[in-house]
Amino acid sequence: MTDDHSAIVITVAKDLADLIPVFFKNRQKELETLRNALSAGDYDQLRQLGHRMKGVGDSYGFAKVSEIGKRVEDGARSADQPGIAACIGEYAEYLARVQVVYE
Amino acid sequence: MNDRTAAQAPFRVLVVDDDPDMVGFLSHMLQREGMLVEEAGDGGAALVRVMSSPPDLILLDVMLPGASGFDVCRQLKGDEATALIPIVLVTALEDSESRVRGIEAGADDFLSKPVKREELLARVKTLRRLHDTRKELESRRLAAEVQRKEAVRKAFSRYISPRLADRIAEAAGGSGDPFQGRAQRTSLVALFADLRGFTRLTEQNEVGAVVSMLNEYFAVLTEAAYQHDGTIFNMAGDSLLVGFNVPFPQPDAPERAWRTALEMVGRFAPVAAAWRERHGLALGVGVGICAGDAIIGNVGSAHYANYTIIGNPVNTAARLMQMAAAGEVLLCGPLYERIRDLLPAGRVEGRGDVTLRGRSEPMPVFAVNVMREQA
Repeated sequence: MTDDHSAIVITVAKDLADLIPVFFKNRQKELETLRNALSAGDYDQLRQLGHRMKGVGDSYGFAKVSEIGKRVEDGARSADQPGIAACIGEYAEYLARVQVVYE
Repeated sequence: MNDRTAAQAPFRVLVVDDDPDMVGFLSHMLQREGMLVEEAGDGGAALVRVMSSPPDLILLDVMLPGASGFDVCRQLKGDEATALIPIVLVTALEDSESRVRGIEAGADDFLSKPVKREELLARVKTLRRLHDTRKELESRRLAAEVQRKEAVRKAFSRYISPRLADRIAEAAGGSGDPFQGRAQRTSLVALFADLRGFTRLTEQNEVGAVVSMLNEYFAVLTEAAYQHDGTIFNMAGDSLLVGFNVPFPQPDAPERAWRTALEMVGRFAPVAAAWRERHGLALGVGVGICAGDAIIGNVGSAHYANYTIIGNPVNTAARLMQMAAAGEVLLCGPLYERIRDLLPAGRVEGRGDVTLRGRSEPMPVFAVNVMREQA
């Protein structure tokens, strides 16, 4: 989390608490894979990664992850390099700011 | 979970998805509901799991590495062994094309991604109720089937030996012929018994009384036969044909046949005494026993057949029975040699070599007066 950005607080069901650390570890890996795929111009992989983000994000309660994932998937279909790059930047910032509260 | 489901085997769900976070989420939700979750990361692994241990429900992601969810679904629904396992295809919410393809592949239901826990649980619980209902109906059907078979077996047992009835019931469960279809030659002991004085009985009594007396008589004889594991092959008029060493091996068949004859004559004695007192009739059982090779098999047409024994020892036993007096057991030579040690000393009478009707060669015959022995 950076000092110049406020936290994005997301409320998640308490019973998912055990799964959340692994979930975020995988999101960080995913961010790295997205960057590598974009550098390599691998739009097929970007489409798959976007599709996966779209499915899993809001299942855990993180609607933003699903939303960014949908944009990555759509952008990959039209090989929209700058659009996807913006999505990846937005994703990195979101992951840096997000804070989970259990209830 | 209610008491009924708690008592049952756990409901098994196979979750197929290549995203470990998705698998983790779905498994967590289902396990909270007391279900047993198994996981597969691709279509091939899913098929192997289903074939080796079919689950009660499959949650199947569409986009899988290798074989797609549609391919897996189509394959499972096309196989008789797995067609009834409900499959929920997990698809993107806006992907209506996937739903159409899923329906074509045979999917039972759909679940949208991202997955809402309420929707997941509602769909799974509905399919679980259907599964429980189907299992309940299946177990009732099986119970009814067992009951029906038992009723058939019991009904059969009145007409043929209980052991034969059991054999038929067992064979009816599979595709085999209960009597192996082909006739075969085998070593056996044939015992024929009939009622001496039967003609007088039919002449002097009403039909109803005759049937009732015959039932009493046959009850005694069949009980004696079953006590020594004889197989009844025929009951005609007042005669009864019992086989030993057929169709089930009995190394002590001659001894069993002898004891059966003793039992028949002995058990009938008090019945005969009662009849004598009531009807003034002098009746008794006459028995003929012979051992040798004969044929066992189905004799008859495609519409009506008898599972029976035919051949020399059967014919000879019938002739010996005709020669036997009331309370007498007649034995052919080979059988006598085998059981002579069991016979009561001084009660055996050699009748010499007798040429029986239908036989060219004379054969030694021995008579045992059982009634005199028992008296």
